[in-house]
Amino acid sequence: MADPLRQIDELSMDTSTPVAIDVRKLGVRYSLRFTRKTTLRKSFTNLLTRNTGEQSFWALREVDFRLVNGESLAIIGPNGAGKSTLLQVLAGIITPSEGVVDVRGHISSLLTLGAGFDQELTGRENVRLAGAFMGIAHSEMGERTPAIIEFADLGAFIDAPLKTYSSGMRARLGFAIATSVDPDVLLLDEVLSTGDQVFREKSKSRVLELVKQAKAIVLVTHDMHWVTEFCNRAILLEKGRVIAEGDPEEVVAIHQEHSVKGREAAGGAVLQPSA
Amino acid sequence: MQLTSEAPASFRSSADRPGPLGLVREGLTDILSRRRLIAYLVQAGLRKSGADTLFGNIWWILDPLLQMLVYVILVSVIFQRDQPAYPLFIFAAILPWKWFGSAIQDGTVSVVTQERLIKQIHFPKLVLPVASVSSGIVNFAFGLIPLTALILLFYSDRLSVWLLLIPIVALVQFLFTLPLAIALGAVNVFYRDISNVTRHILRLWFYLSPGLYAIEQLHGIGSRYPIIGELLLLNPFATLFGAYRDVIYNMKAPDWVALATLAGGSLILLAASVYLFKRLEPSFAKVL
Repeated sequence: MADPLRQIDELSMDTSTPVAIDVRKLGVRYSLRFTRKTTLRKSFTNLLTRNTGEQSFWALREVDFRLVNGESLAIIGPNGAGKSTLLQVLAGIITPSEGVVDVRGHISSLLTLGAGFDQELTGRENVRLAGAFMGIAHSEMGERTPAIIEFADLGAFIDAPLKTYSSGMRARLGFAIATSVDPDVLLLDEVLSTGDQVFREKSKSRVLELVKQAKAIVLVTHDMHWVTEFCNRAILLEKGRVIAEGDPEEVVAIHQEHSVKGREAAGGAVLQPSA
Repeated sequence: MQLTSEAPASFRSSADRPGPLGLVREGLTDILSRRRLIAYLVQAGLRKSGADTLFGNIWWILDPLLQMLVYVILVSVIFQRDQPAYPLFIFAAILPWKWFGSAIQDGTVSVVTQERLIKQIHFPKLVLPVASVSSGIVNFAFGLIPLTALILLFYSDRLSVWLLLIPIVALVQFLFTLPLAIALGAVNVFYRDISNVTRHILRLWFYLSPGLYAIEQLHGIGSRYPIIGELLLLNPFATLFGAYRDVIYNMKAPDWVALATLAGGSLILLAASVYLFKRLEPSFAKVL
């Protein structure tokens, strides 16, 4: 059997446009034996009753795609399709159960902005903490901090504890951190709809700037406007599998067609109360 | 762009899992390379513990003193035990135990409480239990202030150079606490019951350790029930309390052989716990 590691390395050598993300036959399996808050009791009963029910499910299966620098990819699909799981795999948070994921360069992955913030620390201290979590050298983070603070535009609040922040302010700080660290690959999960109008415009232009700098972006969103306007490729995921891939307009059309069908199928029961 | 210190885990597949020694080495590198992150986490934890109270960090000093008072009243008034300089005797045990107890309790939940973060950012999760154990060091150091005051004001006849050995005993305690917190932190992700159980086990452990009473009592039990006596003496906290008490209360050298044995055993446990943690770590984000 050929060594899978070497194979990828050789492939990456000869490409003229640098590959940013290479995903092959990716599968992620979740074990159902340990889900949220398993207790010892449950484990014992499983053991005693020899629970042989479905022990696992595949959140993603046979996912293949490649992304070169300068591309921005949108991942769309209905809830529970595996979109966020895919981002988590790209970010290195989840290890694939099968297949290979190769992400080249520095990744920034504040998937939901500001989730890792500490309530008691000030905005400035949270910037430092986030940098340390992302593994950025202290000196480099020190150089970047002024730009982050300027972009987040929080005024005097930057030295107030985070618990005094509004959710919009928190999102602004998170976005500023995620994009100011100069990532080669930026992963965004439903983050562009946060903040007020002014900041939304600001974050849009920031993302476009990053795309222009030949940085790859992977974006999960339900905002189809974003997909067609700012992404040059799209992937439609359904039930963990890639249903369509290619031009954003076409993929969005397929997605909308599918969701209309889905709504019609479920529609009768759901719509009744409001009728 | 200047390259960052992060060794990007850019290449991942289901196939490349290192062996046991590789995992342990990886884990130790995780800890050592992220010292600054651990320091920030410790700082954040301390900020939290002193944030919402009137006296703030004064509680770090008052807390062991009040606890000492409770036990002094209980033991010398109710049980009528007569131990010379009992407050000092008991303080030498309360101070390290507070560190141990909070480190184990915080360490057990250290991973599950960072659930959201773990799903957002790829970082070595080992820093979490390590930070829990480390933040106790600061509280412990603050506790040395009332200890010194106690000795200077009331027991100046027990002032000795042996006090300077406290950090060495504390280091052995740190080495022993670390693997327990790491292992519990990892296992608690899968069995949330652990955090409920640890509280009670800790309490039982304290009463079985010669903290409120002298180690000689264990020898007494040993003469009646040899096996139980032996087991109680094997308790690492029999060694640790004994060592603290020697340098603080008895004004003599600790039992070096016992301390060295405990330190050695702890290092083996540390390797085993880091291995366990690294084995389970890839599943954290899925299970949480």
